[in-house]
Amino acid sequence: MINYLIKGILRDKNRSLIPVIVITIGVMLTIFLSGFLKGAMGDIVDQNARFETGHVKIMSRAYAQNKDQLPNDLALLGVDTLMESLRRQHPDMEWVKRIRFGGLIDVPDQNGETKGQGPASGLAVELYSTQSHEAERLNIQNALVSGTVPDQPGKALIGHVFADKLNIKIGDPITFIGSTMNGSMTFENFTVSGTIRFGMSVMDKGAFIIDVADAQRMLDMQDGAGEILGYFANDVYNDDKAQQLTESFNRQYAATDDEFAPEMFRLKEQNNLAGYLDYADNMSLLFVIIFVFAMSVVLWNTGLLGGLRRYKEFGIRLALGEAKGHVYRTLIMEAIVIGIIGSVVGTIIGLAATWYMQTYGIDIGGMLSDASMMMPTVIKARLTPDLLYIGFIPGLFAMVFGNMLSGRAIYKRETANLFKELEV
Amino acid sequence: MLPLISLAQAQYPDGAEVIRKVDENMTARTVQSEEQMIVHGRRSSRTMTTRSYARGHDESYTEYLSPPREEGTKMLKLDDRLWLYSPSTDRTIQISGHMLRQSVMGSDMSYEDVMEDRELLDIYTAKVVGEDTIDGRKTWVVELTAKVDDATYHSRKTWVDQQRYVPLREELFAKSGQLLKRVTLSDIKKIGSRWFPTKMNYKDVLKDGQGTDFIFTTVEFDVEIPDFIFTKASLKK
Amino acid sequence: MKLSFRLAYRNLMGAGLRTWLNVGVLSFAFVVIIFYRGLIDGWNQQARRDSIAWEYGHGHLLDAGYDPADPFSVQDGHGILPRNQQQHLSPILLRQATVYPQGRMVPVVLKGIDVNQNTLELPTRMLSGSTADIPAMVGTRMAKSLQLKQGDELLLRWRDKNGTFDAANITIAAIFDTDVAAVDNGQIWIPIEKLWAMTGLQGHATFFVASAGYQPHEIAGWNFKSQKEMLQSLDNIIQSKNIGGSIMYLLLLAIALLAIFDTQVLSIFRRQREIGTYISLGMTRWQVVGLFTTEGTMYSFLATIVGCIYGIPLFIFMANTGIAMPEATQDMGVSVAGTIYPVYGAGLIISTIVLVVISSTIVSFLPARKIARMDPVNALKGKLQ
Repeated sequence: MINYLIKGILRDKNRSLIPVIVITIGVMLTIFLSGFLKGAMGDIVDQNARFETGHVKIMSRAYAQNKDQLPNDLALLGVDTLMESLRRQHPDMEWVKRIRFGGLIDVPDQNGETKGQGPASGLAVELYSTQSHEAERLNIQNALVSGTVPDQPGKALIGHVFADKLNIKIGDPITFIGSTMNGSMTFENFTVSGTIRFGMSVMDKGAFIIDVADAQRMLDMQDGAGEILGYFANDVYNDDKAQQLTESFNRQYAATDDEFAPEMFRLKEQNNLAGYLDYADNMSLLFVIIFVFAMSVVLWNTGLLGGLRRYKEFGIRLALGEAKGHVYRTLIMEAIVIGIIGSVVGTIIGLAATWYMQTYGIDIGGMLSDASMMMPTVIKARLTPDLLYIGFIPGLFAMVFGNMLSGRAIYKRETANLFKELEV
Repeated sequence: MLPLISLAQAQYPDGAEVIRKVDENMTARTVQSEEQMIVHGRRSSRTMTTRSYARGHDESYTEYLSPPREEGTKMLKLDDRLWLYSPSTDRTIQISGHMLRQSVMGSDMSYEDVMEDRELLDIYTAKVVGEDTIDGRKTWVVELTAKVDDATYHSRKTWVDQQRYVPLREELFAKSGQLLKRVTLSDIKKIGSRWFPTKMNYKDVLKDGQGTDFIFTTVEFDVEIPDFIFTKASLKK
Repeated sequence: MKLSFRLAYRNLMGAGLRTWLNVGVLSFAFVVIIFYRGLIDGWNQQARRDSIAWEYGHGHLLDAGYDPADPFSVQDGHGILPRNQQQHLSPILLRQATVYPQGRMVPVVLKGIDVNQNTLELPTRMLSGSTADIPAMVGTRMAKSLQLKQGDELLLRWRDKNGTFDAANITIAAIFDTDVAAVDNGQIWIPIEKLWAMTGLQGHATFFVASAGYQPHEIAGWNFKSQKEMLQSLDNIIQSKNIGGSIMYLLLLAIALLAIFDTQVLSIFRRQREIGTYISLGMTRWQVVGLFTTEGTMYSFLATIVGCIYGIPLFIFMANTGIAMPEATQDMGVSVAGTIYPVYGAGLIISTIVLVVISSTIVSFLPARKIARMDPVNALKGKLQ
């Protein structure tokens, strides 16, 4: 029976093609929009996660209390052991260490005398590690104005405004002056490997990005780091998981009152993000409901139309003596098959499009007159499991429902009228 | 009662005289010394050793001997200029402006504190305001009030040992009279003809913590120091 | 034209449920588009208003040595502007200082402001009303970060113009609540006369905030930064939100248009005989195309009407109660109010209607083009596939 129906659907383009296309497009759009909304609403959160909070962040208790002042004297120590155990216990997550620090950049002339100085807002991340995705995460490649991402010790990225002002070229030496974890003054020479532009004047002037290993040596923080950030796979924040993780991690240190014991914070607890996350969830849910509703109406209509297209065929079948119930049932069966085909294809295309948008995104930087890299200029979608059914279910049901409604006409049909319709 | 107080005050020596006597103990034409600096941090204490040369008030040179990280770091002050040399970068950088306010090696002391090179009596008028006893030793309490308008600390109070003319405690005040820093001097030793406090604790009282200790392990006064020590070239040597 | 309009209307009404489903979805898209754009416009207006009211005024006149992005430039970036140049300008002097809450050492920016100023919305009158020796005010964020409440005293250490340390207690006379984090984070506001006296920088200012009547002109040693320049970064963020939002509502519009498209394809298929009849009655093919396109376009008119019926009360309600925004958005460097009141301008509504009408006309026209290629005889017989 099903085979017969499928054959019919495949052979009769009228019956199948347009409805399948419409359902496919509808389902695809729904999925894409949901994924897009989740991504777009999450951009602030995402940006925070990338630059500051991670999905979870570990700091020493004392550091956490004064984190605005970048108190590296209170930083975590024994970071390697800690990270190793984190990696062992949560191999699905990416764990990275970062150090934020302040200081001065001093640019020497040929004789080694100071040519110019400027404040530096330093950020040390795992640039050289092949396992880390930090450079990507911080969008450094796109922020490069010239040069390349540092690939070996002793190289640094600096803000392009500062570089322009002092006429610093790629490969030029600079000296960083700052204070170590212990408060000693520290000097370190770096070679400029690139200049970056984040679109925020503080960063464009003072950005100083180096590898974390260089920073550890320079700031006398061997085996230390200001913060350890954890990222879930696919860079998608999951609050339930983060909460579980945070609770179990902090439980290990509940007994100690050491002010330098590590403490884990989930994204939601940081930077007032809780309110925003809830808000984003609610807003995107609202929009998805609106959209799914709209699409259901459209597909319902498609179902109605699909039934209408075939009034003549029904007339003939009834005239040939097929029972009304049978005609109706086959109509519904067909609707189910068409609905499934359309929804499956739509879901696949929708997921593919969402995946593409999650991976590459749409760069709206060009549409902005003065794009800022700190502000997300690439709009990205987010692939979540609910996308699997969010389009599929309404796609199928709205279609079937529409057919059911229009199919009622089969029962209303008078045999006498049939022949009138058959007239050619 | 009243005559008694005025009589008591009359017995106080002249403040400037007390300070001059202190200077005789504390300053010399040249000083060569080795010191330990113990910085009490929030989580641990660190000890650094240095060798210093000073000539008069205006010229001083300090070289870090340990720990390994700081070894070879040199600091040179000539008049109102201060340079730091770091061996790892092989660069000499003048510390100026904002950087002068940074702490010296994490201590409670800033480079600016190190820079102050005028004689106390050039900046302050001194007056003995009372007597006190510290660790069983009788002291004059000398109040120093700025007579110039660019003193870092508007006033100071110094507790001077009445017999040895060595300061045992010093307090530094803001214009408003708010106490900012306290220096405690101890382990007074006889070096040649002079008394000299070989231990000093320097504390920023507004901040939590135990302050910074300076300990002189050796001190020599009025020794010959070669001229080239006080040149920028000596930093790179 | 009138005929095709009337015919189109009749045909649509005759189709009943199908028409209303299409109209419903299209009206929905219409309402959502207007709502979203209204929200963005409302945000834009609020953010501009707040930034101007609290921070920008009608522009800043900055000492040439002062660079807002360089904290070190605060030290020397100040100067005296001759009195006669100071019309419509209100001075603000910045100084670095340190406060000691609970034994911690926290660097702050001390901002002296004229207590009688009324260019900015900062409640400076609260400072003049205070009897405290050094009355100070902070924003809610700063108060939270230092754990301060009104009436609290806090030890402040600063340096005068010669570098001499000074320290005194300040009294928190007021805590203000603003959407503009840039006048709140890390700063303490005190009367400028007080700061002048404390530092000996009598008459100095780091920058001036211009009020409405200020005419910018060249002044040596000072740079004028206009309100427009300062609003640029805000405009960018708003624009990016706009682009992101438009992707969303265009998708919604697309799905509504899909329904119209589908309906059109079916009507043309089902109504061949009708088409044949029109042509045989003397209509040109393109007139018939026009008739069918009008039908499709009419969805958009009906959708506009239906959208207005339920949209207007909704918009009015939203514009009055506003939409609550979460706290985190306020820390993005853009001012975002706790509540945003959408603004629906005539331009926004008209352009949305035009967008919906034109796009639905296009999708109606596309399938209707087929009519132009029809053979009227076959059409009349209903023999076309």
